[in-house]
Amino acid sequence: MTATLPNRATVSSRDRIQALLKHPAANIALPIIGILLFLTIWEVLARIGLIALPSPIQVLTDERSNYLIMNPFFYNSDLDQGLFLQTMASLKRVAIGYGAAAIVGIAVGILVGNSPVIDKMFDPLFQFLRMVAPLAWVPIALAALRQNEPAALFVIFITSIWPILINTAVGVREIPQDYKNVAKVLRISNQKYFFKVLIPSALPYIFTGLRIAIGLAWLAIIAAEIVMSGVAGIGFFIWDAYQQNYVTEIIVAVVYIGAVGLVLDRLVLFIQKRIAPGQ
Amino acid sequence: MSVFVAVDQIEKVFNLSGGGQYIALKGIDLEIKKGEFVSLIGHSGCGKSTLLNMIAGLDLPTEGVVTLEGDRVTRPGPERMVVFQNYSLLPWMTVRENIALAVDEVLVDLSKAERQAIVEQHIQLVGLQHAVDKPPSQLSGGMKQRVAIARALAIRPKLLLLDEPFGALDALTRGNLQERLMQICEESQVTAVMVTHDVDEAVLLSDRIVMLTNGPSSKIGSILDVDIPRPRKRMDVVNHPSYYSLRSEIIYFLNQQKRIKKLRAKKSGATARHGLEKVNLEMGFVPLTACAPLIVAKEKGFFDKHGLDEVSLVRETSWRGIVDGIAGNYLDAAQMPAGMPVWLTIGGNQGTPLPVVSALTMTRNGNAVTLAKKFYDKGILNAADFKRMLLDSAEQEHTLGMVHPSSMHNLLLRYWLAAGGIDPDRDVTLKTIPPAQMVADLKAGTIDGYCVGEPWNLRAAIEGAGVTVATDLEIWDGHPGKVLGVREDWAAAYPNTHIALVKALLEACRYCADANNGEEIRHILARREYLSTSVDYIYLGDPNSHVCNIDQPMREYAHHQFFGDGLNRPSRTEHLWMMTQMARWEDVPFPRNWVEILERVCRVSVFSTAARELGVLDMKYHRGPIQLFDDIPFDAEDPIGYLNSLSIKRDFSVAEVAIDGRRPVTAG
Repeated sequence: MTATLPNRATVSSRDRIQALLKHPAANIALPIIGILLFLTIWEVLARIGLIALPSPIQVLTDERSNYLIMNPFFYNSDLDQGLFLQTMASLKRVAIGYGAAAIVGIAVGILVGNSPVIDKMFDPLFQFLRMVAPLAWVPIALAALRQNEPAALFVIFITSIWPILINTAVGVREIPQDYKNVAKVLRISNQKYFFKVLIPSALPYIFTGLRIAIGLAWLAIIAAEIVMSGVAGIGFFIWDAYQQNYVTEIIVAVVYIGAVGLVLDRLVLFIQKRIAPGQ
Repeated sequence: MSVFVAVDQIEKVFNLSGGGQYIALKGIDLEIKKGEFVSLIGHSGCGKSTLLNMIAGLDLPTEGVVTLEGDRVTRPGPERMVVFQNYSLLPWMTVRENIALAVDEVLVDLSKAERQAIVEQHIQLVGLQHAVDKPPSQLSGGMKQRVAIARALAIRPKLLLLDEPFGALDALTRGNLQERLMQICEESQVTAVMVTHDVDEAVLLSDRIVMLTNGPSSKIGSILDVDIPRPRKRMDVVNHPSYYSLRSEIIYFLNQQKRIKKLRAKKSGATARHGLEKVNLEMGFVPLTACAPLIVAKEKGFFDKHGLDEVSLVRETSWRGIVDGIAGNYLDAAQMPAGMPVWLTIGGNQGTPLPVVSALTMTRNGNAVTLAKKFYDKGILNAADFKRMLLDSAEQEHTLGMVHPSSMHNLLLRYWLAAGGIDPDRDVTLKTIPPAQMVADLKAGTIDGYCVGEPWNLRAAIEGAGVTVATDLEIWDGHPGKVLGVREDWAAAYPNTHIALVKALLEACRYCADANNGEEIRHILARREYLSTSVDYIYLGDPNSHVCNIDQPMREYAHHQFFGDGLNRPSRTEHLWMMTQMARWEDVPFPRNWVEILERVCRVSVFSTAARELGVLDMKYHRGPIQLFDDIPFDAEDPIGYLNSLSIKRDFSVAEVAIDGRRPVTAG
């Protein structure tokens, strides 16, 4: 009897944690507590001088950064504008580069997935190129294209194409033999096979690729802009602020980058759920 | 009706990743008529799905052709629609869309409205009106398979191919769907081929059941015709007289395949030792008191004594198992009914002569005729009464059980009946039943009596199910019972092993014949791995002294003879007599070259060598003329004349039996 008592106590505390996690407010309250905890530690560490960064309160109160936070939309010149506008300039590049990567990646992926010969031929090359870091492409892009803007687009394109291409190829290759057999027995036309069998079947894989790629594309644009001076965009903004030692500005920009990356990821997930619900 | 689908000499070879080849199917020949329902059954990996895929065109044979209405199948097509095991519905489409996709793609000649009507009609056919707009993920397994069947039928295929369609379903759903499929097939006269491993499903649905042997090189083991009339209802099928025999036929086949696979895996070639060519022997036996010499040789170490230290005894439930084991070459030697070596040699097994030799007669006597208790209650106490009863009630059908066409039980029972003026084929029905099943059949009333070796007569008497009406004493005292049989090619390959085997068994026979060992042997025989029966049923000698009163005066008992003067030496005259009897009932033709056959079957020289080496040379050679109860002389010089002199017989044929693999040439 007595032996069961402590046991029951631990069970009940575990139950309480379970109940807490299931509470609707937990989804909002717990992350907020986490963030506040993080900011507090940062504040303390900055105050006692353990890190040389400005503390969160300094970021909010500093004149330059405060102006940036309060005025995301001001425009003086291409290189001197609000952070929202800077972000939009970067996003525009991502949209073009990533869009091109999606189109080319899916098309080539289908080709590769459908043809074992092409697959064998190019797979090592794809695997090799996939491993090249986004920054490494920058000098090559600049050397090849000689202009900042197209080079930036190329870096995004080349970074984000691989996951799309490889995942699409896997998706097409992994179309269940059953579906292929049905198509063969019914002698379904190629066009119908493509739209009614191939695409729906590979869609979950394609979206997995797209989701990985959007993260990489956003990563790549910041890196590319930092290196390519003189283009409007949040990456260059950070580089510029660093050169002038405005650390609080960098921190505000970093918050923007993180937030946008998160939003982009959720956006693709949302689209995936709408178009290809879990099969 | 003409051939609809023809599978002609199909062979399928898969190239293995390691560079080798795997022959999945070899020499498959199958013709399917229009409107027929054919099942393919076999163990996993026997290539039944591969065969189905080749009919579908999803896979192409390495050799041979498949034709549908004379056109060669080279690729898949909607006229050969497949119902796949895992339904193969497209999960991103609703039920209706899935069916419509097929209909729209295949029935292009029809108008849109007509196609829609067909889709709706087939949804109704499988009763899925309530789920038309659901995706497959929201359907149960049974519903999904109904959609798949509806999709298949909607495109009006000439041939419906079903690949284990109900394999993944629970029993209740499976039963319902089977009935539905059967109904649909009957209504729309579909020709269908179904792969299954469910025996009951095969019997219920099929017109013919094709049984495939295990791979590699699977082939058609045999084809069963299901003679149950249509339309069928499950309960009617189960109660149909053919149902259980079909079912047990399939199960026997499948079990046999499983055993062959196991033995194949085990077989590591011949282990030579002690100057013998092969000491690892698989010996078949059927659990009967008469198998005592084999079991004694094993248990009392006679095999080991003669160098055969890796003998394993393989228990078969029926004589057919022994035949298959010897024919399939996975038994080295076997205890056989006396007539079996000759029967196999002449071609009794599926018309293919298989030379088998015998060098030892292991037992004599030990058989009896048992009749059901109801006859005893009517006052039928002996053979004469039984005959009178049979002749008096000719309009009634009486079924008697025997164990194998080539066994002495069959030959003696027929002889005994015929001698009394009863035609064993016309006046009664003789049914082949495994020995151990006789008592159960007698109790169930499916047979009226049987002729079988002990312990099954005694057991029926003790259990009150039947009464012994005749023993060997009334038919042929001292007839050969069980003999040792090996393939002729085996005997040629392992001559010294053969002699050692005969020596071991001959010594075991001598041991069995010693009354002092009776008790010990009875208890050994009763063990689970041998007869697996109560020791009370097993007697080597006269049971009357042990079993005081079995409801009626037990007749004088023709107890087993294991050893003695002239008892064990294979006798050409006896084999010749059995040859005449088997020909008499048209089981096999009488061989024109009977002298040659007898020379080859009876290995007297092997026996003599064994006996000499054992020092039992003083055994008398001559047994004297064959003397049955009716005193009709058997002239071993003129067997055909003897056959002609018998009044009740079939139109037996005389044929030259070429026993090196060629088929016998029948010459009237």
